[in-house]
Amino acid sequence: MSLIKIEWLKIKKYPAFWWMLGIVALTYPGVNLLFYNVYQQLTTKKDFTSTIAKQLFGNPFAFPETWHSVAFFSSCFVIVPAILVIMMITNEYQYKTHRQNVIDGWSRNQFITSKILDVAIIAIVASIMYAATATGYGLTVKDDNTAKWSEEIKYIPLFVLQTFAQLTIAFLLGFLIKKAFIALGIFVFYFAIVENIIVGFLGFKKIAAARFLPLEVSDKLIPGPKFFGRFNEEGYKLSLSQINEHIVYTIVLTVAIWALCYYIYKKRDL
Amino acid sequence: MESILELSSITKSYGKIKALQNVSYQVPRGSVFGILGPNGSGKTTMLGIVLNALQSDSGNFTWFGQPGSPATRQRIGSLLETPNFYHYLSAVDNLKITQAISHRGNEADIHKALETVKLTERKHSKFSTYSLGMKQRLAIGAALLGNPEVIVFDEPTNGLDPVGILEIRELIKELASQGKTIIMASHLLDEVEKVCTHVAIMKRGTLLTAGAVDEVLANEDIVEINGNNNEGLKRLFTNYTGVTQVKQHGDHLQLFFTFGTANLEAINQHCFNNGIVLNHLLLKKKSLETKFFELTND
Repeated sequence: MSLIKIEWLKIKKYPAFWWMLGIVALTYPGVNLLFYNVYQQLTTKKDFTSTIAKQLFGNPFAFPETWHSVAFFSSCFVIVPAILVIMMITNEYQYKTHRQNVIDGWSRNQFITSKILDVAIIAIVASIMYAATATGYGLTVKDDNTAKWSEEIKYIPLFVLQTFAQLTIAFLLGFLIKKAFIALGIFVFYFAIVENIIVGFLGFKKIAAARFLPLEVSDKLIPGPKFFGRFNEEGYKLSLSQINEHIVYTIVLTVAIWALCYYIYKKRDL
Repeated sequence: MESILELSSITKSYGKIKALQNVSYQVPRGSVFGILGPNGSGKTTMLGIVLNALQSDSGNFTWFGQPGSPATRQRIGSLLETPNFYHYLSAVDNLKITQAISHRGNEADIHKALETVKLTERKHSKFSTYSLGMKQRLAIGAALLGNPEVIVFDEPTNGLDPVGILEIRELIKELASQGKTIIMASHLLDEVEKVCTHVAIMKRGTLLTAGAVDEVLANEDIVEINGNNNEGLKRLFTNYTGVTQVKQHGDHLQLFFTFGTANLEAINQHCFNNGIVLNHLLLKKKSLETKFFELTND
């Protein structure tokens, strides 16, 4: 509890934290609004194409599907909280407060634990934003299935886990590289380009190992929205069936990364 | 005397460079312990190890008779190398973090510490807006927070103006008079000589000497004399019993004796018997500066 209190003292007057919160508060509803508008344009006309589109897409923004669809679209923007996570650890190096905290009386393990709490706080804040956005769409967009509103609610904990796992990878980069811009550059480049190319290439070659890449392990927690299944039913069913497996892989990878951070920090000169 | 800090055979290397080699000494309770050495002698490395910022390759140390731990560090106010604070926070907010981690003091003590280092007027300004001297004063304030029994200062007067240096010197003397143990690394010999009761001199990672200032400096008696005929005086003492060296030092002549053997009365009598009347006769301690250069020069 005292670690959370101290981390809150560091965070609460950090302008980037509130900027991140603002950006997430705009990005998550914003990006979903974009997809929602596209969906509306495709489905609201009273012609044959609209009918086909409606049959194809279903209603991804109504309850209960909103939990799944909004989680998927929002998860593409983990980069925003990742920037904050990287800045928070690299700031400690830049200001040398990582060593001052230990000199003042923290153990090295306490320092890493405090960073786990930071990442957890940011993941939870991002998840609250996602859940609020999903709820907002669910309440606004009416559908026959609204009564089954809680059916897909499992995507809330899955979103929390995925965000925490991916922010952990961002933290690891900042922790090892120590320089904010280099760590951010590598994360963005890997997140947006490298892993997608590798996953695409391995998928094309039908090599299953692609799902064990660092970000892909947790990406698999939230497969595409239900309508993705209309395009490749077999692949989609496989993705859904692999979620539980990937919960285990994600937890193992995340625990391993934090264990590595504890080990390195214990041995390292500060 | 009880030791606050005890180092035993501390060794630390950076690749082929040996930053510390088998360094052992004790810091007595209530002492003002100066650690002297040229740049790169290992002063900060040594303090970094006892404050757990660095890992030693071998050797060990104890604080208050116990192995170093978070609990022992919480009893020590420390300024190591540079003032390390969150740039976007004010002095008060930064000290709240220091207070929460160290468990030293309370809200009122934060304001008291800032008052001691004369930062009250700027206590709500962001750290990033501070001058170098103000940053240094905040770091000293953080070390003083909650009245710790031991204070570690690494180059405490860095970045301070002459008035600030004088204020810190007076502060150290005042803290020492309250019975606090102060460990201070510095390359400012004058500063150490003026405030320290004990001293350790280091060079290239090796401890050259350590102990009470009087003991470290007093391995020789230096007698300074002056008379109406200095050439005659020089001849007179060249073969004088117990004199190891005769040196001209400005207007005066310096006679070097083994520690504790100089007899001023006998010297005066010897001069008078040989027809020279002295107008200056003084038993001097070797200055720390002299001792330092003597030890650290190759």
